Amino acid sequence: MKASMPAGRRRLAKSVVATLAVGVLLTGCGGTPANSPNSAAAAVDLKSAEGAKGDITICGGKDASGIHKNTTAAFHKANPTMNAKYVEIGSSTDQQRTQTVQRLEGKSTECDIFMMDVTWAPEFAAQNWLLDQTPVMEKIKDRLIPSTAQTALYDGKYWATPFYTNAGLIYSAKDKVAKPATWQQLYAEAAKAPGNRLVYQAQQYEGLTVNFLELLYSAGGEAVNDKGEVKIDSPETREVLQFMADGIKNGSADRAVMTYKEDETRLAYESGNFGYERNWPHVYRLLNKTKLAGKFDVSPLPSFNGKSAASGVLGGWNFAISAFSQNSGAALAYINFATTPEWQKHVAMDNSQAPVNEAAYSDPEVLKAMPFAPELLASVKGAKPRPQSPVYPQISQAIYKNVHAVLSGSATADEAAKKMAEDIKTAQDSF
Amino acid sequence: MTSAQKLAERPRTFGYDRAERRLAVRMVAPSLILMFLVAAVPIGYAVWLSLHQFSVRQAGLSRFVGLDNYLDALSSGAWWSAFGQTFTFAAASVSLELVLGTAMALLLNMTFRGRGLLRTLVLLPYAILTVVSAITWQTMFEPTLGLVTTVLRGLGLPGGDIVWLGESGYAMAVIVLADVWKTAPFVALLVLAGLQVIPDEVYEAAELDGSTKWTTFINITLPLLKPAIVLAAIFRTMDALRVFDLPFVLTRGANGTESMSMLAYTELRENRLVGEGSALSILTFLTVMAVSVIYIRFAGGNIRAAAQEKQ
Repeated sequence: MKASMPAGRRRLAKSVVATLAVGVLLTGCGGTPANSPNSAAAAVDLKSAEGAKGDITICGGKDASGIHKNTTAAFHKANPTMNAKYVEIGSSTDQQRTQTVQRLEGKSTECDIFMMDVTWAPEFAAQNWLLDQTPVMEKIKDRLIPSTAQTALYDGKYWATPFYTNAGLIYSAKDKVAKPATWQQLYAEAAKAPGNRLVYQAQQYEGLTVNFLELLYSAGGEAVNDKGEVKIDSPETREVLQFMADGIKNGSADRAVMTYKEDETRLAYESGNFGYERNWPHVYRLLNKTKLAGKFDVSPLPSFNGKSAASGVLGGWNFAISAFSQNSGAALAYINFATTPEWQKHVAMDNSQAPVNEAAYSDPEVLKAMPFAPELLASVKGAKPRPQSPVYPQISQAIYKNVHAVLSGSATADEAAKKMAEDIKTAQDSF
Repeated sequence: MTSAQKLAERPRTFGYDRAERRLAVRMVAPSLILMFLVAAVPIGYAVWLSLHQFSVRQAGLSRFVGLDNYLDALSSGAWWSAFGQTFTFAAASVSLELVLGTAMALLLNMTFRGRGLLRTLVLLPYAILTVVSAITWQTMFEPTLGLVTTVLRGLGLPGGDIVWLGESGYAMAVIVLADVWKTAPFVALLVLAGLQVIPDEVYEAAELDGSTKWTTFINITLPLLKPAIVLAAIFRTMDALRVFDLPFVLTRGANGTESMSMLAYTELRENRLVGEGSALSILTFLTVMAVSVIYIRFAGGNIRAAAQEKQ
């Protein structure tokens, strides 16, 4: 507990000064601070990348696919004057986040680049922990699939650069069920026999927010709009919640999903007892190592009743440059290298991650290694970011706790829709 | 200690001279300073934090809010539901642990072959990390592939189709079960130590007087075991009220299993609301303190009385 405290005495002294300076904001006590990062946040200097040299460190989660090991090695080969090192700072996303926060709070210069989950940038940017990457994003934006670039956008500025993306897919057992065009079709087909059921992630955690928003976005609904207004208390939310709850009640989705995260879902599906699975692309390779190898189809997430275009929620990882980096020039060079169309092909080919460059998806070599690349691209292009806010963790809790309550039958769709909006507003009112 | 006892002891303290007293103070000082550094300072710091709010939206901004964080917590449904759920868990798990632990201790106190081995084996669950055992229980109660559900289904017993960790009530039951499995042996160990200091003569006398096994247990064993059982109850209750890892791994606080510590964790770690989270930690701390004070006040007398009787 003590380790996570952001304010040492020095910072207190500073904030007292700041308090006096912006006294107007605070005397009322109800006064809300400006909703944007301090204008003091520095932007990257593109010129610093020219002729950059020396060492940089990239800090992130466990490098299970080997993508960071490959990228750092290839970077050094292409730029012999620079050396990039990848340091694993957590085995789970939660742990990685804690470790990242601790380093940034302590103004540590250990890491030049932090690997950021797509939901983290606004929160960290608000603390002045990240360099503003708008100049570099403006320069390389045409390499990127627009939806992926959006995940780094907050308050009109880019705080990160996407490295690889992620989007949900539907896996279906060829011999039992058809590839779905709509969620309604999927649920109807799944309800026909216990062996046809759908498994997804509905434990009370971040993954449930993603699973719910995928349906909500496809139904044309939204949680929070671009202006930060809460839009979740809507007929679309009620319809989707009711649909999901009914799906569990009538056996379209197995009740066990209430206890599933990604891995539990994957393991359950690998038993062969189910028809459909909603999961991320990494499951493809693992599923092909089981008895189900070659017996399943992959499709992009379907639309909701054909009402609106099929949509989903973007995952993936972005590069953020630490405000305390001692070599942001080399960090920029690294980011530039990792997002080139050429290297993005390797991201897919060698490490089965979803590229942020569109051309990579139609590359013959990529298609050979990742035959479902067209489906993945469709999912990625249709997907939208989760709400971009410095209080995102609280917003997500407001969503997944209330969705879980509906699925477990302890709240109605109507109650939950109202409560979600209320809870998100409370979160937004955080000091 | 009654005032009469204090008076009785006083003449003895007159015997010490000042120098000796000063020496005593100096000898106690290092541990007092250490206690101050490791206990009082962090608690004081947490209290100081809990009186402030630190902005999650603008760098370096903080404000003094007095008791607002506490008032907000105490007027929120989340705190009181976590409070109720934590006490439900504590009451269920501690009472089961005491009954089972005492029964295990009585068995282990008998003379039979392989007793040494069994005493070691019984302690095994306590040696396993809670997080590891939580993951094991989660796997066992997995709805399609789990050992428990599969066996129940195979035997045609009820419960095979229940999504144990996905339903209120059942989820709490699994968490209580996991806790009892792990810590009943700990209670057994404490009670066993209590059993072994009961002199054999007392039992022999009871036997001579024609007491049955049951009345011996009720009238002799249990009263003499009371200090050990109370001690175990205090330890276990304090632990149970701070429960975090079991619900965190098994349910993430869903289905009526969010504990006070989990609530504080979410605010502090996930939401980085340092002031609000510290207030929740202090509230949890005060709750646990209050419960232990009550225990010591009402049951603690028994420990002292028993200790004096033995003397």
